[in-house]
This record gives sequence, structure tokens and C-alpha cells, in this order.
Amino acid sequence: MGSPIDAATMANLLDITGGDQGFVDELVDTYVAEGERIVGELVTAAEAGAVADMVRPAHSLKSSSLNVGALALGELCRRLEQDALDGAVDAPVARATEVNHAFDAARAALLDERASR
Amino acid sequence: MTPPAGDATMRPGRVLIVDDTQFNRQLLGRLLQGIGHEPVEASDGRQALDRLRDPEQPPIDVILLDIVMPEMDGYDVLAALRDDAALRHLPVIVISGVDELDSVVRCLEMGAADYLPRTVDPAILEARIASSLARKRLHDAEREAVDRQAATNEVLAIMSRSAFDLQVVLDASVRAAVRLCRADYGVAYVLEGDAYRVAASAGGTDELDRWERELTIKPGRDSVVGRVALLGEAIQIEDVQDDREYVASGQQVGGYRTIFGVPIEQDGTISGVLALTRSEVRAFADAEKALAIGFAEQAAIGVANARLLETIDRQRGQLARFLSPQVAQLVSSPEGEALLAGHRREITAMFCDLRNFTTFSETAEPEEVLGFLRRYHAMVGALVVEHEGTLEHFAGDGIMVFFNDPAPQEDHAGRAVRMAVAIRERFAEVSDEWRRRGHILQVGIGIATGYATMGRIGFEGRYDYGGVGNAIILASRLSGEAEPNEILISQRTFAALDGDQASAEPAGERALKGFSRPLLVYSVGSMARAAEAS
Repeated sequence: MGSPIDAATMANLLDITGGDQGFVDELVDTYVAEGERIVGELVTAAEAGAVADMVRPAHSLKSSSLNVGALALGELCRRLEQDALDGAVDAPVARATEVNHAFDAARAALLDERASR
Repeated sequence: MTPPAGDATMRPGRVLIVDDTQFNRQLLGRLLQGIGHEPVEASDGRQALDRLRDPEQPPIDVILLDIVMPEMDGYDVLAALRDDAALRHLPVIVISGVDELDSVVRCLEMGAADYLPRTVDPAILEARIASSLARKRLHDAEREAVDRQAATNEVLAIMSRSAFDLQVVLDASVRAAVRLCRADYGVAYVLEGDAYRVAASAGGTDELDRWERELTIKPGRDSVVGRVALLGEAIQIEDVQDDREYVASGQQVGGYRTIFGVPIEQDGTISGVLALTRSEVRAFADAEKALAIGFAEQAAIGVANARLLETIDRQRGQLARFLSPQVAQLVSSPEGEALLAGHRREITAMFCDLRNFTTFSETAEPEEVLGFLRRYHAMVGALVVEHEGTLEHFAGDGIMVFFNDPAPQEDHAGRAVRMAVAIRERFAEVSDEWRRRGHILQVGIGIATGYATMGRIGFEGRYDYGGVGNAIILASRLSGEAEPNEILISQRTFAALDGDQASAEPAGERALKGFSRPLLVYSVGSMARAAEAS
């Protein structure tokens, strides 16, 4: 399995924001800080068995993840959002943990990429 | 990369991004700036509605709306917008993932204008925003046209209702000009003597308004009002700070930068200036200038009407020094000509003259006679005005007064009798004084009611307002018939005295010159006696 961050999506993000690497870095910082909060909400809802409360965090993380190229994480979130909407989440804690790990991997890859520049 | 300025022909818009994730707001904001728009952010539906309804904030042109949000979600926002007449027209672009087409359909059904995929492509964003902006601007232009028409109609309606009330016309013109030309303050200066003073204003702070109202401006280049008055044409100063000749210090109080002034003029004569100001440097557009000129024209008609009215009032005032107020009013009224030409009406005529006046004028010094007549005429004149009689003439000691013409009066017989009683009472004071000087002067009064033909009597160059009819002759005969200090009234006058009849008693039948058979007459006692009797 390759990098959790799709390089083409990142390149596109830089392109559409006018090639401003500083701005993209800020955006990534926002993604990381906000993602940590959202994952926290997701885990809390899962531990409480409140499946309906998992919809919004999954939805939020999905859209930003797809925009920074965290495609695998985005897909996990998409499926979780859909299942939570349908009330069909059998193991909420396991699903939240799965998202948590994918987010950690995406975050590490994003920060590594920055450090390698 | 994508060109940042976008379509050069498209004017930038103010776009409200409603999204609970900061990441999305930050990214969309950047993309919008890149295509020349101004992003405004709200992190949930409640915050978005608060921003949209805040009158202090500049208006939003397009809304980019996320669906899944805490507090109020996208559907709630759409429902709230639909229920709000002021916001219903705002285009909403829903942001959604490709997997959320069901929600997109629901949003479009609820009034959303369009949708955007979650992974944003700047070219698509630009195209969607442009199409929504065009729609919004078309709507705004329509609404503005309707608004302008309504305001113009309102001013015209006010003009037609109160064409002669200058203040009402000026207030309405300035108010409409400020609103429709998007000015912060508007003021109408009107020429008084050789300087211009504020006659109406709208908008602006109390402090500025107080300051402006203290000013008197003469034609000159140092202020917009002065410059318009000097040059006689509309003038715009885009930024007073860049205009070296502009020194009027109102700018410091009002903080205005752009000023537009229009002359209020008719037939080439300037009677005032309408000035509009903005606190920011933003020139008045051609359409706004045209509107302001239109309102200045309305104001000009108002000023011209008011001046005309002043002239008529002044002429009426001058006429009233020679004619009775009722006749002066009649001469300058629209129906005047017809009434002057002659009309038949029931009137009550009162004739009053003095006993022993001939003897008095032969024995007294001429100065004494004139002095007495002045005093007598002034006394009777005041009572005629008080009882709203129409004075036909003073002829030496004889005085003729009509009631119920030219202005109709209910109770004209009663008025005549009350006035006659008042004349008799006042005259008693005057005659006491003259008795002490050795002259016995007493008054005799006759009153008669009946139809007479009233109108202009005389010849070109010398007309009087008077009447012809038996009642007038009878009043004169009764006056001659009256004993000293007696008031004789005709039977018809007596019959018309509702409630005052107790003051009069039959005084027999009299054979009068010019009347084929004797007539029953009544003598009026004092009103005090009448009150006791009833």
C-alpha cells in the first residue's frame, strides 16, 4: 500500500489555490487541528453507542479528507456516514478506531511531506 | 494555474460561505478571492441567518450552503430563507458530495438555485457563482426599478395633494432623493434674500443637521451649494479632499467625501439647491444623478407654487385694506368672477346712521367731526369684522353691512341683530363722551332680511361690491324710522331669529316710503333683557 495521501490531489490543491504553498500549509494545519477534534467527537459518540451522533463528524472529515488527498480516509468516512445514517453500524467503536488510525496515518504523511521539502 | 481575476466582465459579489468545518470555509474563501469575489463566513445556519438579517452589515449576493451542520442545518436555512420576504430572492448554491444527490434534489425543491460538488473545481465554482450573481442582479435591478417608480409616484402624489405646502413637497423630494440615490445625507437649500438656507433635510446625524441649518450660503466656489448657485448647473465633487477650491467645513462635521448638487430652478431662475452627500468616495452614477435632477424639478415646482401663493396672499392682504375681508377673499378666489358677475341670495342687511349728525357737523369744528367719524368708523368696523359681516360702505354717518354674502352664514339674521346690539352698547360710551362736550349724538339701526341681487356694482374703474333688493331698501328705511338708540327689524328678520326672538317685541305697523302697505316691525331690546325674559 502506498502513501495515504494522493499526490495528484495535493498538486491540484496547490494549483487551484494559486500555487501558494504557504496557504496550502495553513490549510493542512487547519485540517490536522480540526481533524483531531472531529475524530475525538467520533470516538466519543462511538463509545457512547450513539450511532446517530457519528453522522456529522464522519461527514465533516470525509469532505476535508478528500480535498487534501486522504482518499482512503475519505472513503472510510463516506461508508461510515452512510451506515450511521442507515443506523447500520454494528461495531461503532471498531469503526471509529479504524477512522482514527487512518487519520493518524494521513496526518503523519502530510507532516512528513512538509518536513521533506 | 487558473487565472485569478476570472471573467473581467463580471462584477465581484459578496458570497456567504455557510459550513461548519473551518477547512472548507478556508478553502472556499481562498478560491472565491481567487476569482475576484468577497467571501464572508458563517459556521452554522443560525450564524448565517443572523448575518443576513443584520442591517449594519453589507448585503450578501450569493450563499454557498453546506447541508450537514450542527444547530441549524442546510434544510432549516433554506426553509427560513423561503419564509423571509427580504431574503427569499437570494440565490443559494448547495455544496454536496457526489454521493449526496438525494439531498441535492431535496434542496433544489426547497428553493436552492444550484449545487456544487464537494471537491471543488475553481472553473465550476466561478461559472456557478456567475450565473447566480447574474440572477440576483437582475432581481435587484427589477426591484430597484419598482422602488424608484414607487418613490416617484409617492412624491407626485404628495405634490398633487399638497402642491401649495412647500415644506411637505421639499421634505418628500429630499427624502426620496436620499433613498433612491443611496446618499447618506440630503439637504434642500432655498434662496432667502441673497443667501441660501436649509429648508429640508433627510438622513445624516443630528449634529450635522444642526450644523447645516445654521449656515447661510452665498454663491461661490468654496461649497457645492454655492458653486451650483454660482454656475447654475449640476455639480459633482467626487472627493472633497481632492478639490482645492472646496473649503466648506461641513465635511469635518458630516465626514462626507462625495457631494452632488443640483439647482432647484424654474425658467432659468435658481431658487434653491438640492445637495446629496456620501461619507465615502463613491461618485453618483448617471442614473442616480438623473433621479436627483427629477426630484429637484419637483422641489422647483413646490417653490414656484409657494411663491405664487405668497403673492396672492399679499395681494389679498392689500385688497383687504380697501375692501371688506370677505370681498377681498372673493376677488382672489376661483369662483370669484362668477359671484362678482351677480347672484341672487337671501341676505340680512343692516343700516345704521346717526341722529343729529347734520346739526353736529354744522356746529362742531371740522376737525372734531372728522375725529368723531374716525372713532365711530373704527368702533363699528371692529364689530363688523368680529361678526363677520360684509361692509358695503361708509358714507358719512351711514353704514351698510350685509350678512350671508358672499360667504354663506347660517344664522345671518341673528348675527346682524347681535352686531346691532353691540354697536348700540359701544356707541353709548362714545355718545357719553360727546355729550360732555355739548353734542347729543345717537344711533338708529334698521335690519331687514330678504332676497337681493348681489355682485359688482359700478363702472369700469370704480366698482363696489353691493346689492339691489327690497331688503336693502327696507333696512335703510327702518334705520330712518328708528328712535334714537332703537334697533328696528323687519318681520322676516324677526322670524329668522331662532332663540333670540325674546329680545324683540312688536313695535306696530309702519308706513314706509316706497312700500305700498304698512309693515309690521319689531324693536330689539338689550340682549341682557332678552336673557332675563327667557
